[in-house]
Amino acid sequence: MASITIKDMSVSYNKGKTYVIEDMSLKVNEGEFCVFLGPSGCGKTTAMHCIAGLLKPQKGEIYFGDKIVTAPLKGIFEQPQERNIAMVFQEYALYPNMTVRKNMSFALETKKAPKEEINRRVDEMAKMLSIEPLLDRKPAELSGGQRQRVALGRAMVRNPNVFMLDEPLGNLDAKLREQVRYELKKIQRKLGVTTVYVTHDQTEAMTMADHIVLMNNGRIVQEGTPSDLYDHPCNLFAAVFLGTPKINTFDCKVQKKGEDYFLVHPSFILPVPEEMEESVKLFEGKTVIFGIRPSDLILVEEGSEGCISGTVDGVEPLGEAFLVYLNVGGQVIVFKYSGDKTSFSGQLSLRPNASKFHIFDKETENRIND
Amino acid sequence: MSTAVNVKPVKEKVPVHLRVLRVVYYLIMICTVLLYLLPFWGTVTTSFKTAEEALTTNPLSFPEEISFDAYVDSFEELKESLITSVIITVGGALGSVALGSVCAYGLSKYRFKFDGLFFLLLSAAIYLPYQAILVPLLKTISNLGLYDTRRGLILIHIVYGMPMCTSMFRGFYSDIPDALIKQAMIDGNGPWQIYRKIVLPNTTIATVTVLVFQFTSVWNEMLFALTMGGFDCMPATIALNQMVGALSAEFNMQMAGSIWLTLPVLLLYMFLGKYLIRGYMAGAVTAS
Ligand SMILES: Nc1ncnc2c1ncn2[C@@H]1O[C@H](COP(=O)(O)OP(=O)(O)OP(=O)(O)O)[C@@H](O)[C@H]1O
Ligand SMILES: [Mg+2]
Repeated sequence: MASITIKDMSVSYNKGKTYVIEDMSLKVNEGEFCVFLGPSGCGKTTAMHCIAGLLKPQKGEIYFGDKIVTAPLKGIFEQPQERNIAMVFQEYALYPNMTVRKNMSFALETKKAPKEEINRRVDEMAKMLSIEPLLDRKPAELSGGQRQRVALGRAMVRNPNVFMLDEPLGNLDAKLREQVRYELKKIQRKLGVTTVYVTHDQTEAMTMADHIVLMNNGRIVQEGTPSDLYDHPCNLFAAVFLGTPKINTFDCKVQKKGEDYFLVHPSFILPVPEEMEESVKLFEGKTVIFGIRPSDLILVEEGSEGCISGTVDGVEPLGEAFLVYLNVGGQVIVFKYSGDKTSFSGQLSLRPNASKFHIFDKETENRIND
Repeated sequence: MSTAVNVKPVKEKVPVHLRVLRVVYYLIMICTVLLYLLPFWGTVTTSFKTAEEALTTNPLSFPEEISFDAYVDSFEELKESLITSVIITVGGALGSVALGSVCAYGLSKYRFKFDGLFFLLLSAAIYLPYQAILVPLLKTISNLGLYDTRRGLILIHIVYGMPMCTSMFRGFYSDIPDALIKQAMIDGNGPWQIYRKIVLPNTTIATVTVLVFQFTSVWNEMLFALTMGGFDCMPATIALNQMVGALSAEFNMQMAGSIWLTLPVLLLYMFLGKYLIRGYMAGAVTAS
């Protein structure tokens, strides 16, 4: 078990012509469940492979605990087989010539663990992942979801320093995914293994992570706890990437009337909450992006002050709540309603929760309010 | 292909001109096959004749009485050289396949300085005409004291077989997903362990294919055998040729000798045929 520290890492696949990761610095604490989150192609797998020692970065240093494992400029590079990591690859990478049991015991046998110990651990893990009946099959005889569970099991039977998972739940159906997600998190907490988990699914990130590292175009956009990222997205990208349904955004002009500041949109005018005035002030007369999450809108009497009004465009019942789509001056926004009302039609007025405003600079897309 | 649908083929009415064409096709094919098999047929019939009959009858006619004398005699005469051939072939084929396999593993799964250039030079060796290097090679071999020895011929076949083996194996190995190799590293294995536990077990078909290919080419080889061999080390291909120049032309002996010579190759293809087809057809690995 160890913490992972990355310092100023840059990675290139073509000897420095273009970089897929630039100046990445990161600290994953011991025992932490860290999720690399980001859109496809942003460099999550690349970053993970660098930590595992499967790739040599052009620049930067990587430490496991106090031990330096990668430092290309100092000529230090510990081979992956010496790093004691367990990994689940995006492509599963099950050994086609070995049975499921053999696949799962392979790493332990390489380390020359005692036979009974190996069998005990494999059986235990197989039970937990409900793959016991498959133990004597070859990978080619398994379905996609089964392969994925075998790949997970193979990594989990080991007792690694660091546990790395590259989109390990992608091929499971919704029910199984929830179950495995839960089991995975439970095992991780029990073993206390430092874990790096790659996904582009923000729900997975939000539910499992102690620490989210949000990436885009080879750079870290923001990192922190799930609530840090959800409540204080540092820019528009982070705001839009996290949360389902997506955050609603409007282009608004900042205007001053008397002593107060207002966000002016063709269809509504909202007063800027007092605690945000200080930062919004600088943007007087300029256009900003106002964002509000669907669950931070409150249904109020029609025609109230400081509201967003629109006509109902569609309704999606979720069971415990409703998603109501409203047409606001030609733009469709979403609102999550969890009260007693069951039918929605005509005009509705919504008041944004004043403490949940997200305001971004239109030009840089960076957050303005704190 | 995998979803077999059980539908009875519908008997269509084939237009007359197409049916005629089909008959013509078949005739052409049958003629070609016969033409191709004719020499072989002659070899077989002659080999079962007595020396006298072989000289006096049409080579294609059936023997009046089947005689195994030619087989016994020619085997006696070729015995020594067949043993030489077996040793050279086993040594040469195994050596070049082993080297080629390791070489291809390195080239296809690891990056190192000048790996591209290395492979380019290696491939160039495949297209090198042997005649062009014969004289310097002969000099080298004599200087090494390996002229007219089995060791010398084995060495030559290993060296000149290796590039072809490497290039064949490289094709097969590049089908192994990189993730598999990386996974094995993560699981604590070094390059040699990965080669032994992952690469080889998943590419048996490739190994068999290349081995048979190499076995056949060394077995049938004549140029090196003729120039680098002599009386002490005479492969069967050469020995068979020398039988021609004996006192009189004993066709039955020569033909029986030819059969002895082709037998190992034929047997190999018969037993390993199904692997070979699979190996030639496509990727030798079906990794998950
Ligand atoms: N072997 C490679 N050679 C060259 N470029 C590569 C290679 N592997 C990845 N890339 C490029 O590097 C970038 C990052 O790739 P990476 O695989 O890390 O993305 P990712 O975040 O894991 O995406 P996904 O969610 O689709 O798996 C991509 O633009 C990709 O095209
Ligand atoms: Mg990836």
